[in-house]
Amino acid sequence: MGNNASAKALRDPRHEKSFWQRAMEQKALVLWGVFFFIFGFIFYYVPLGGWVIGFQNYQPKNGLFGSEFVGFDKFVQLFSDVTFLRTLRNTLCMGVLNLAFCFVTAIAFAILLNEVKSNGGRKMVQTISYLPHFLSWIIVTGILHDMLSGGGIVNEILVNLHILDQPLNFFAYPQLFWGIVVFANVWKETGWNAIIYLAAITAIDPSLYEAAQIDGAGRWQRIMAVTLPGIRPIIMIQLLMNVGNVLNAGFEVQYLLGNGLVQSVSQTIDIYVLKWGISQGDYAIGTAAGIFKSVVSIILIVAANQIAKHSGEERLF
Amino acid sequence: MKKLLAAFLAVLMTASLTACGGGDAVDENGVKQFTAFYAVPGPEINSDNEVQAMIAERTGAKCKETWLTGQSASEAVGTLIAGGEYPDFIDGSDATQQLYDAGALIPIDEYWDDYPNIKNFWNEQQWDLVRRDDGHVYWIPQFNRVNEVATTTIPDEAFWIQTRVLKWAGYPKIETLDEFFDLIESYQAANPTMEDGTPNIPYTILCDDWRYFCLENPPEFLDGYPNDGSVIVDTDNMKIVDYNTTPTAKRYFAKLNEEFKKGIIDPESFTQTYDEYIAKLSTGRVLGMVDQYWNFGYTVTDALKQAGLDKQGCNYVPLGITIDKGIHNRWFTGGSIMNSANGLGITVSCKDIPGAMQFISDLLEPEVHTLRWWGVKDVDYMVDEDGLFYRTPEQRTNAAATNYKASHLCTYSYFPAYVGMDQDGINTARPEFQPGEFYDALGDDVKECFDAYGVQTHVQMIGLNEIPGPWFPMYSHSNNMTTATPGGVAWTRMGEIKHEYLPKVVLASDFESAWDEYLDVYATAKPEDFLGEMQAELDNRLALAAKYE
Repeated sequence: MGNNASAKALRDPRHEKSFWQRAMEQKALVLWGVFFFIFGFIFYYVPLGGWVIGFQNYQPKNGLFGSEFVGFDKFVQLFSDVTFLRTLRNTLCMGVLNLAFCFVTAIAFAILLNEVKSNGGRKMVQTISYLPHFLSWIIVTGILHDMLSGGGIVNEILVNLHILDQPLNFFAYPQLFWGIVVFANVWKETGWNAIIYLAAITAIDPSLYEAAQIDGAGRWQRIMAVTLPGIRPIIMIQLLMNVGNVLNAGFEVQYLLGNGLVQSVSQTIDIYVLKWGISQGDYAIGTAAGIFKSVVSIILIVAANQIAKHSGEERLF
Repeated sequence: MKKLLAAFLAVLMTASLTACGGGDAVDENGVKQFTAFYAVPGPEINSDNEVQAMIAERTGAKCKETWLTGQSASEAVGTLIAGGEYPDFIDGSDATQQLYDAGALIPIDEYWDDYPNIKNFWNEQQWDLVRRDDGHVYWIPQFNRVNEVATTTIPDEAFWIQTRVLKWAGYPKIETLDEFFDLIESYQAANPTMEDGTPNIPYTILCDDWRYFCLENPPEFLDGYPNDGSVIVDTDNMKIVDYNTTPTAKRYFAKLNEEFKKGIIDPESFTQTYDEYIAKLSTGRVLGMVDQYWNFGYTVTDALKQAGLDKQGCNYVPLGITIDKGIHNRWFTGGSIMNSANGLGITVSCKDIPGAMQFISDLLEPEVHTLRWWGVKDVDYMVDEDGLFYRTPEQRTNAAATNYKASHLCTYSYFPAYVGMDQDGINTARPEFQPGEFYDALGDDVKECFDAYGVQTHVQMIGLNEIPGPWFPMYSHSNNMTTATPGGVAWTRMGEIKHEYLPKVVLASDFESAWDEYLDVYATAKPEDFLGEMQAELDNRLALAAKYE
């Protein structure tokens, strides 16, 4: 209730201060604010000027101002290219799969971990589980490549258990590729993503659990009736933020695990940009693909936010 | 105290920022410091490398070299161009044309009058191939500049086979693709494992990124054509022929398909990375493969030697395989084959162009050239009473050891250099070409094999061919194509399709339908656009050469 009292005090005209007075009182904060505004402007908005490349027949020799303006030609070229449409499909599918699996596993893992009563055991499991987040993709893909290779541990186990007659070359099958990518993402990020949910769970008032217990709720019922509703706002916010990232389905993991046989399902928009934009020196088409990606991401995040707003859920803006 | 610390940090930061500001610095001893980037993977040497310091004493300059790691050449170069800052020297490999298009290189021919070493490195006719459409030379092709052919050169691409396989079969004459695989099959049936029980891998195929030539280009050689790389030049009517769809190509892939079904071909062929491939060859398990010697030979031969696997007969010798008997094989072409597509260039970021030209020129001086390739007299090589260089076994072992190479030897391998005979006319330009040296360095299994076939060198195993004509090699044109032309777009798409469908064809349970599918998809890439541009380039080169006749 103390909050309400001070809020009233602020609104009280006798205590009203001028804008400048308040700004002076918080000059440290204002300074930091200005600093971040400038930072954001320089590093987030100025580079957007480079988008103009997407509408030019850009030649590095002629520069930004000397290159020929071609309007939407590069976009037309992009969308009439089957390879691009395929990378678009791959990106969307892997993005959605990643989102779905990483999201669910992180929440489930956080809840399971919360149910562990031994403090030491929980700390240990948590530390071990988020360590892979700090490995770079080159290491993770190296481990995966070794594990799934013909003489790797996975094939060894499957063959010795007589599930397979002879080693299976996992990377030669296009139908397995998305699964491998999703598995890699889940393995690497589950522990890390669970941290925020664990924090949210610890913020739930313990008296709610006590009350549920007195009412005769079992563990499962307590999870369903107390824990999940308690972290629901966090879940919604996380979901919204991740929806905007669907098209960032990844670059390194597909680039490093892919090969000729699976390239029709492995290449993402980012790889397309690298191959056709940077490698071939056609920076314009790379930029056009990048612009397209940003626009779709913005649309996705706004749409998701609107849906959340209409159904009365927690939302970003 | 705090203020002092802050001031110190500030100084440190400014210092490190200026240090990043790029090359052309001069160190405390007055030695010029250049930087170089090569868009190929390579070994980095230590900064206190001994021979590098000796070269710096004589030339007054040194060059910090960096190599490609983990990216493809065009990705690395594309990123450099986007950034607009370059090292002093650059070799863009496959992406050299992009450097030129971006205006990143300086015209070398405007500066070379004072540097005869550079100007005379190639002759006028050869320089003409390097000139761009504005008439200037922007890079120096640095390889294969032969003074006089040394007999000991090792060939490039071939079907390579381990000596133990040939020995087991009594050193037979192997000429055709069918004979090659028959031999491997029967050896594998009789000897499924190595001496320590590790299973053999009868045949593997490297298919990693641009190195997939090990899978895709044998059809041109099987038909008896030399390595024009991306196309066949039919010398009867001077027409370009696409080797991807010839009857020989179909027979070759059908053979691979058949061998895959028999379990002869390594199932990991199409998914292994280059590093995994080299590691595999270094274990001595692989009986045979197609590859360029420079792509595996130097690393793998040293590794096999260190592991003592040469005693088991795990070294590789080349075979000149053709599709049918009676076709003259042209796997190996000798002589000064200049690849005009790329070379060492000086960038617009270089602030001391005369200094850079002087450095390139100095590295070609006999004394420095010997330092680069042979090392230090009495340390890395000995000289006998006739002035002939030779190495002791210990010196040879040193020269093969990674640590020693990094701390002691400095070849500046991507700067122009001579091969074949040295300028003194007595020795060869590099130890590996010196006849005595070459023979002594061979593994015992290879010597035995050579004796059985009555030859002394790898080249004699498969034969030496003259350069077929002034257009050779055509790959120096296709290597530099970008999507700026329809032919370049077709070339890129053809590559993508071959990367996916050729492995599929080999793995297919029904070869015929997989081959037809490949042909259908291949046609959608419009190979005719590519072939048309190659034909135009061939005509152009023939016309250029006609001027000198």
